[in-house]
Amino acid sequence: MFATDFPTPAARVRADRVHRSVYTDPDLFALEMRRIFGRAWVYVGHASQVPATGDWITTRLGDQPVLMVRKADGGIAVLHNRCPHKGAQLATAPCGHAERFLRCGYHGWTFGFDGALGAIPLRDGYDAVAIAADPDAFRVKPLARVATYRGFVFASQAADGPSLDEFLGGVRVSLDNFCDRAPSGEVEVAGGIQRVVQRNNWKVFFENLHDTMHPMTTHESSGLAARKLHRAMPDGTPKPFELRIVDGNIEPYPFWAALALKGFDHGHGWMEAIFNPPTDPTSLAHQAALEAVHGPERTREILSLNLHNTIVWPSGSPHTAFQQFRVIRPIAVDRTLVEIQTFRLKGAPDAVFERALRYTNVVNAPSSNVMADDLEMYARVQRGLDSDGGEWVLLARGIGRDAPFAGGVASTGNSEMPMRNQFAAWARYMGAGDAVGAA
Amino acid sequence: MNAPGPDSAVDAAALHFDVTRFVLHEARLLDERRFEEWLALFTDDGLYWVPLAHGQTDARTHASLFHEDALLRRLRVERLEQARVFSQQPPAHTVRVVGGVMLDRVADDGAEVEVRSTLHLVEAKGDAQRVFGAVVKHWLRHVDGDWRIVVKRVDLVNCDAAHEGLELFF
Repeated sequence: MFATDFPTPAARVRADRVHRSVYTDPDLFALEMRRIFGRAWVYVGHASQVPATGDWITTRLGDQPVLMVRKADGGIAVLHNRCPHKGAQLATAPCGHAERFLRCGYHGWTFGFDGALGAIPLRDGYDAVAIAADPDAFRVKPLARVATYRGFVFASQAADGPSLDEFLGGVRVSLDNFCDRAPSGEVEVAGGIQRVVQRNNWKVFFENLHDTMHPMTTHESSGLAARKLHRAMPDGTPKPFELRIVDGNIEPYPFWAALALKGFDHGHGWMEAIFNPPTDPTSLAHQAALEAVHGPERTREILSLNLHNTIVWPSGSPHTAFQQFRVIRPIAVDRTLVEIQTFRLKGAPDAVFERALRYTNVVNAPSSNVMADDLEMYARVQRGLDSDGGEWVLLARGIGRDAPFAGGVASTGNSEMPMRNQFAAWARYMGAGDAVGAA
Repeated sequence: MNAPGPDSAVDAAALHFDVTRFVLHEARLLDERRFEEWLALFTDDGLYWVPLAHGQTDARTHASLFHEDALLRRLRVERLEQARVFSQQPPAHTVRVVGGVMLDRVADDGAEVEVRSTLHLVEAKGDAQRVFGAVVKHWLRHVDGDWRIVVKRVDLVNCDAAHEGLELFF
């Protein structure tokens, strides 16, 4: 069966399986860039990455290179990284600062931080051109919509659609908890951004984020190595943080089955872990800093929402407990870039941020002993799906046992519900036609 | 042997030869996957560090590609020796060219040195091959008759690039 045999893109998704072409067809990938990344609210970056007027970062929304810029009025603009004149990219570094305006390096046109035209050298050459009547030809094009949720900046290429609040729906609770863990209620990106290239379709990684049937198999090598090191320590030695976050992956199946999975509308979700009040010095210092602001009751409420990977689809995966955001940027049908942002909880002890960085280094850096085997399996999946050895990929585990609630669906920890939920969103976007250009 | 002092040209040449031998030996142990011997080269508080940013001065408040004490170095080696290391099927092979060995600092008593070298590393895995370039700084201390690594810092020329998995020590 060829991909073209389907009457519509969404027909590749069935209740319990998806057609392999959703991972391998370059034409479908191009369509995803328009229908999913061209419509959805996509995470651009965090407001703390552009603290001062004129600060900017470069990144990608789907296949669109963009700039996020702090404007003079304190707001944030998200602009296509393209000069309206000849099309040259305005910035190429990951981040920087512009003193008064954005300036194209090719012919020296300048633009305000909202993209509006500033100066053109020898502007009288355009005397016969009605610039004012054709502003779109003379400005850096902004994304259709920009909105911020507690410092997390999202943009949409579509002028219409749900508001950011409506789009995020139930998953806002996770972003709230991410920030509420800061005694000040605010977080900031700090300590550099790790970037990892995966040789797989972006959806393979999204599915993995809530795939609890893989860790004890895929991560056997790092898990057993960490266990061995702890066993070799004197009796009663508490398991060091660096080993705990590695060998936790090879907990047996019942451990994972007991975790609660939630899927929300638009493909979002999270994994809820059981809350055991922590006893290590860093967690206790964090707790004390929160109690100093909120008192014990509210502090316990904040800390007892114990989430493992959250999914904000199709942007990436925040991790509230260890202050990470793995931002997922599709590059090609078989290539995905992951930007790992680490956050400082403002007002929390330094040790909390240092722990977050250790988590980044040990679990999410390119050198991660854990991720190495994930990357290998994703690449194997991609190569396998490119073959004619089968047409469909099953997402059937736990089907028939999902428990719907208003705005989402719940399941046990070892269900493939999250994958079904993500592909339900995929099918809705892909079946809904193009929005880009309608703006 | 005693720690060679920097008091004369002859001593300086001997010291240079000695640390060069050490740095080349260290590279060879990694290429030959003699990880146990390699781990033993470090002092107890030794650090293996591959910064994420050019000119990075701090690893406590900034992420690193690798920032590994004895425990984390041992973890990496133990993993590579497990039966189901899927990402090493087939295993990667490396070969290094170490050049430009220079003594950047010699302590007054000659028992501590900082050595700068350049590294060209080719890694092959199956049909795929990668090339890495780096400036390497060894901070060495003379302990019980031989050099030990206090800090090995590897500054990749593309440290700030987007990387695929980096599993082996540089």
